[in-house]
Amino acid sequence: MNALISTAVFGIFLMISGLFIKSKQAIRILAISGVVAAFVLNIIDFRQYGASATELFHGMLSVTNFGLLFIEIILGCVLVYFLLSGKDLANIGHYTGEYFALIFFILCGVVLAATYGNMLMLFLSIEIMSIPQYILAGSDKHNLKSHEASLKYFLMGAFSTGFLLMGIALLYGATGSFDITTMNLAGRPIDAMALAGIILIAFALAFKVSAAPFHFWTPDVYDGAPTVVTSFISTIVKVGGFVAFIRLFHIAFGSPDVDKHWLLVLSIITAATLIIGNVTAVFQQSVKRMLAYSSISQAGFMLFAVIAMNVLSWQGILLYAAAYSLATIGCFAILMKMKDYTYDGYNGLAQKQPLLALMNTIFLFSLVGIPATAGFLAKYFVLSAAVEKGGLLWLVILAVCCAAISAFYYFRLIWAMYFKAGDCQVEEHAITPAFKSVLALTALLVIILGVWPGLILAWI
Amino acid sequence: MPSPSYPTLWPFLIYGILVLLLAGGMLFISHFLGERHQEKETDEVYEAGIEATGTARLLFPVHFYLIAMFFVIFDLEAVFIISWAIAIRDVGWGGYLAVVIFVAILVAVLIYEWRIGALNFGPQGKKILRAYRHKIKGVNHNEVVDKQNN
Amino acid sequence: MPIQNYIWLSIALFSIGVIGVLIRRNAIVIFMCIELMLNAVNLLLVAFSKYHHDASAQIFVFFIMVVAAAEVSVGLAIIVMVYRHTKSVDVNILNRLKN
Repeated sequence: MNALISTAVFGIFLMISGLFIKSKQAIRILAISGVVAAFVLNIIDFRQYGASATELFHGMLSVTNFGLLFIEIILGCVLVYFLLSGKDLANIGHYTGEYFALIFFILCGVVLAATYGNMLMLFLSIEIMSIPQYILAGSDKHNLKSHEASLKYFLMGAFSTGFLLMGIALLYGATGSFDITTMNLAGRPIDAMALAGIILIAFALAFKVSAAPFHFWTPDVYDGAPTVVTSFISTIVKVGGFVAFIRLFHIAFGSPDVDKHWLLVLSIITAATLIIGNVTAVFQQSVKRMLAYSSISQAGFMLFAVIAMNVLSWQGILLYAAAYSLATIGCFAILMKMKDYTYDGYNGLAQKQPLLALMNTIFLFSLVGIPATAGFLAKYFVLSAAVEKGGLLWLVILAVCCAAISAFYYFRLIWAMYFKAGDCQVEEHAITPAFKSVLALTALLVIILGVWPGLILAWI
Repeated sequence: MPSPSYPTLWPFLIYGILVLLLAGGMLFISHFLGERHQEKETDEVYEAGIEATGTARLLFPVHFYLIAMFFVIFDLEAVFIISWAIAIRDVGWGGYLAVVIFVAILVAVLIYEWRIGALNFGPQGKKILRAYRHKIKGVNHNEVVDKQNN
Repeated sequence: MPIQNYIWLSIALFSIGVIGVLIRRNAIVIFMCIELMLNAVNLLLVAFSKYHHDASAQIFVFFIMVVAAAEVSVGLAIIVMVYRHTKSVDVNILNRLKN
């Protein structure tokens, strides 16, 4: 479990080193090297574990190569995030070491989410992911909106944790076990207590991944938090929540006589998420808020992987994690360089910064799902997983319609960049050649994944 | 499942009823028998004559939150160490290693809290003393005292 | 006592907590209601632990307590930070973000 140990150790190391090292640059480089180290150590781990689960720590963790591959993708996305937005993260306030340390603690939670084998570890992973986010959302200490986001997020997050715990407790009462593989719900009549437990857990996890109707905190929190933090919590952490979701529902509640009880609930949640996310995003004026609603609607597509439950959905969630995280991190990295966050603030970007506009277009294409980008293949995989499952055709048709709606608000931004005249204000000094080249590499990665998904899928 | 009978519960109920009766009866009877008077000081907080200063709804300095937080955090770590201590022979060296790692993390956190100054609550004695000396004896003498202190 | 009594008691406590979160406006009181929810779960877990003759739920309770403590520290810090700016812990004041 190299990734788990290395992220935790690096988190503590950065927390302490923030006290002794005053240079923001040095701390940023330390953090980047920490992610690279975790990345390499995880590759070493990868050879030891196969497709069947290996139990560690008396069944607390159950490691598969799916989990390790997911961790690898997440660490790669964090590396891109640090390279693109590390400077902005270091400049939120005075406590540079702490910001990076909190990011590493969240990563530790994501690693746990990809490898847990016990309800206790599920609970801990969700909490380790959540608590640092409350702090990061409020880290802009002079901005009242940031405080507000933090308080709202905290109250709502703690509330949903209560539901998660109640669900786990009821499920334990019904089955007598916390282990997700030996919970043994199948093969006997399911009682009301277990059913209530499953539904409560589904609601709590839907809350954490901001699926409608539990999404109402999302726009306010994503809008109020510092943009660099929003970039992180709307990608890495949301995807981490999804991997916890999909593993729990497939491994513990996945057998056919159990899933008929919750499939309809999650289908309705998926439909509501798709409709509310996409329709509300159309009416936004601020690009940051639009990206917040877009993250809700993308969560709707990722929920397909949870309800489909077959090999395609496991592959789909891996591809979706990579495609969505890379594209959104890229969009936010460009957004942070703009002085005006409205659509009008992007007017005429193509004349001023042609490369940035081109990259932003590629990222937005990927979010819409235009062919030859990673987003297209990711959407294709999760939707065809649902088709293969059968009985969900109405949901798939709805999703395709919603993807068409989403094209409207993504293309509106492209329209503003290319076809509207205006002088957008860009922070020129922050756009260094290094930033541009990392951005170009990220866009290239988005396209490569779109034409050659085997880059990821060959490993499982 | 069958519900067992509760043979030992009724004395408790009678006890509870008796307590309520006694307390209610005392209040009820003293309402009629008690002496009543209305003087100048009757409605004061301390009838003996000490005058109350301000309300009881004070604002506490925010540092008290910090102490509460540290108490809650460090108090709860003891739960794990004690539960390890109970099972010390069963868990063996593996458990010992785990607890050593746990305590090492706690020490790291303690170093962090110490360094950011979170443990320096209350008035800062040295600073106050220095400011006081500065005030009464002038700058020159203050420097001399500082050198001696160092 | 039968296990049903414990289940009803903790569901009642949990529901009081949920209703409190939904109708109260003071951030501290909302926070206390959340703690009530967590403690209802603790009670239920301990009861189930006895019922199933399995100690793992008691360990779970320890972890819930520790995580709740961590949440208390972070939450109180956030509430203090908000109070310093707005001089209020009423959550209705915090509606600037709504468009």
